[in-house]
Amino acid sequence: MHTVIIIGGGPAGCEAAYQLASDGIQVHLIEKNNETGGNLNNWYQLFPDRKNAQDLNKRLQEQLNHPGITLHLGMEPSRVEKDGQGRFSVSLSDGSLLEGDALLVATGFKTFDAKRKEEYGYGIYENVVTSVDLENMFRNHAIRTSKGDVPRRIGIIHCVGSRDEKVCNFHCSKLCCITGVKQAIELREMLPESEIFCFYMDMRMFGPGYEEMYREAQEKYNIKFIRGRLSEAAENREHQVQVKVEDTLLGRPLRVTLDLMVLLVGMEASNETQGMARELGVKLAPSGFILPLDPHYGNNLTGEKGVFITGCCSAPMNLTDTLNDARSAAVCITRYLNMK
Amino acid sequence: MGDILKRLREDIHFMEGFNSCMNCGVCTAICPAAEFYNYDPRVIVETVQRGDEGEIEELLKSDTIWYCGECMSCKTRCPRCNTPGLVIMGLRKVSQELGYFVHSEKGRQQYALKHVIGESVLKRGYCVTPDLVKPEMHPEQGPVWEWIYEHMDDFYDRVHGNLRKPGAGALRAVDAESMDELHRIFDVTGGTEFLNQIESYSREKAEEEGTDLEEGYFLRTYMENSGNHQ
Ligand code: SF4
Ligand code: SF4
Ligand code: SF4
Repeated sequence: MHTVIIIGGGPAGCEAAYQLASDGIQVHLIEKNNETGGNLNNWYQLFPDRKNAQDLNKRLQEQLNHPGITLHLGMEPSRVEKDGQGRFSVSLSDGSLLEGDALLVATGFKTFDAKRKEEYGYGIYENVVTSVDLENMFRNHAIRTSKGDVPRRIGIIHCVGSRDEKVCNFHCSKLCCITGVKQAIELREMLPESEIFCFYMDMRMFGPGYEEMYREAQEKYNIKFIRGRLSEAAENREHQVQVKVEDTLLGRPLRVTLDLMVLLVGMEASNETQGMARELGVKLAPSGFILPLDPHYGNNLTGEKGVFITGCCSAPMNLTDTLNDARSAAVCITRYLNMK
Repeated sequence: MGDILKRLREDIHFMEGFNSCMNCGVCTAICPAAEFYNYDPRVIVETVQRGDEGEIEELLKSDTIWYCGECMSCKTRCPRCNTPGLVIMGLRKVSQELGYFVHSEKGRQQYALKHVIGESVLKRGYCVTPDLVKPEMHPEQGPVWEWIYEHMDDFYDRVHGNLRKPGAGALRAVDAESMDELHRIFDVTGGTEFLNQIESYSREKAEEEGTDLEEGYFLRTYMENSGNHQ
C-alpha cells in the first residue's frame, strides 16, 4: 500500500487527505496548529452564499475521521529527505519520522502585514483595521470604533499589499474584491444607518455569483463604490481617519473622513510555503508563490519528482477552487503512485 | 513613432519616470498642485501612455504641464513605480525644444525665467541678486524689502554682504575667471543653446503679437492671469 505525506492541514490539505484516503492510500497529514482549517479559522461567513465558515471547516474535519488518515497536529516538518527510490522521509518537530511515496505541499498563504504599508496607518491610527480583524468583529457582532461608538462612515480599501510594486507584490490577490463586497453587505446589515464606501481600482468579480453580489451591493445595500486607490491616511484629533484618494471617474482629488477604515489585505505565500520550497528545491514564481510545472497541464506538479502542490501555496484561490485543486492533486498523485 | 514620442524616449527623466500606468489616481491624490490647480498627473501619464501625438502636442501647448512643482511626492507612492513629476520634466523639455510653450500663459513664463534667472546666472554667476528684486515687480516682498532696496549699499555693508564687490562675502562679485568657466559649462552642456532657444521662440511670439520682447512681452509674463487655472 502507498503512503502520501501532506504538509499543511488547511482546506486544501484536508480535502486532498480525504480524497487520497478514499482511494485506499495511507495519508499522514501534518498541521502546525492544534486544529486543522488554517486561515479558514479566521473567517466568519463565506462568499458567495454567506455560509458560516465554520460549517465548511467542520465538514472538512469530519472527513478526516477516516481509517486511512493519520493526523499529526501541532507538528512541523523539521527535515525532508528523498532517497534513490523516490521515497520521502519527513522528520517532525517531536523527533518522530514519517515515510511516504509522495509528498503533497499544502502550506498555503498568509495575509499581507498591513503595517508594511505605513502610510495607511495600521497599528498607528486607532480606527484602522484589516479585513481579518473585521471578520473577528463580525463573529463578536460588535462593529465599534476605538471609542466604542457606532461608526457612521466606513471606508473599505482595496488592493492593500497587492498590485503594488512599492511592497514588491506585483500580483492581484484575486479574492479581496469579493471579500470587500461581502464585508460591505455584512456591515450594512448590522449598521443600516452608516455610509459605506469601497475604494477600488478594478472590481474583479471572477466567480459565479460574484458580479451579481456586487450589483446587489450597489442596488440593494446602497454601498458607494469610488474608483480610486488610497494614497495615504491621516488621523484627526477625534481619531477619525482622513483618506486621500482621487475619484478617477470624475478626475478630482477627494478627501473623506472615516470613522472606521478597513484594509482588504492581500495574500502572500506563507513562510512555511517559502520554507518548504527552499527545503525541496522547488521553484518560486516572482510573486513568491510556488511555481507549478505548467499552468495548464501541471498545476499540481513541481519540477521535483514526487513533490506535488495544492491550494494557495501556488496562487491565491477561493475555497471552491482550492477544494477542486485538492481533488485534482489527489488524482495526479494516485496516477503517479500507480505508475511507480 | 511620431517626433514628440521619439524625443520623449530620448529624455532620461521621462524614461526613468514612466513604466506603465494603471490609472489608480494615487499620484493625483498626493499631488499638492492638484489641490490648487485644475491639474491631474494621472491624466497626464495616461495621455502619454495612449501615445496619440496630437493629444500630446495639445498637452505641450497647454498650461497643464506647467502647474507641477516638481516636488516628487508622486514618486514615493506610485504602485507601478512611475514618477509623474519626471514625466512632466520630459514633457516640459520637449515643449521648450519645439517652442510649444509660447502657446500658454504659464508656458510663456519660461521667458521671464530665462530673462531674469537665466541671464542673471550668465551675467553675474547668481540666479538672483538683491538689486534685481525690484519692489514694484515684487509687491509680495512688502515694505521692509522696499526700505532695504532703497538703502541697498548701506544695508549690505552693514551685514558684511560685500554686495557686487571683489573679495570675500556671501554676495561678492564673481571673478572673471570663474565667470568664464561658468560660460564654458553652459556651452558644453547645452545650457546656452537652451536659453537661446527659449529667447528666440519668445521673440517670434512677441513679434507676432507686435510687442517688444524685453518690455511688453516680458511684463505680460508677470502680470497676465486669465484666472482659468483652478
Ligand atoms: S482582488 Fe481586487 S482588491 Fe484584491 S488585489 Fe485584486 S483588484 Fe485588488
Ligand atoms: S512632482 Fe509634480 S506631479 Fe508629482 S506630486 Fe509634485 S507637483 Fe504633483
Ligand atoms: S500613481 Fe502611478 S499608476 Fe497610479 S495613476 Fe499615477 S502614474 Fe498611474
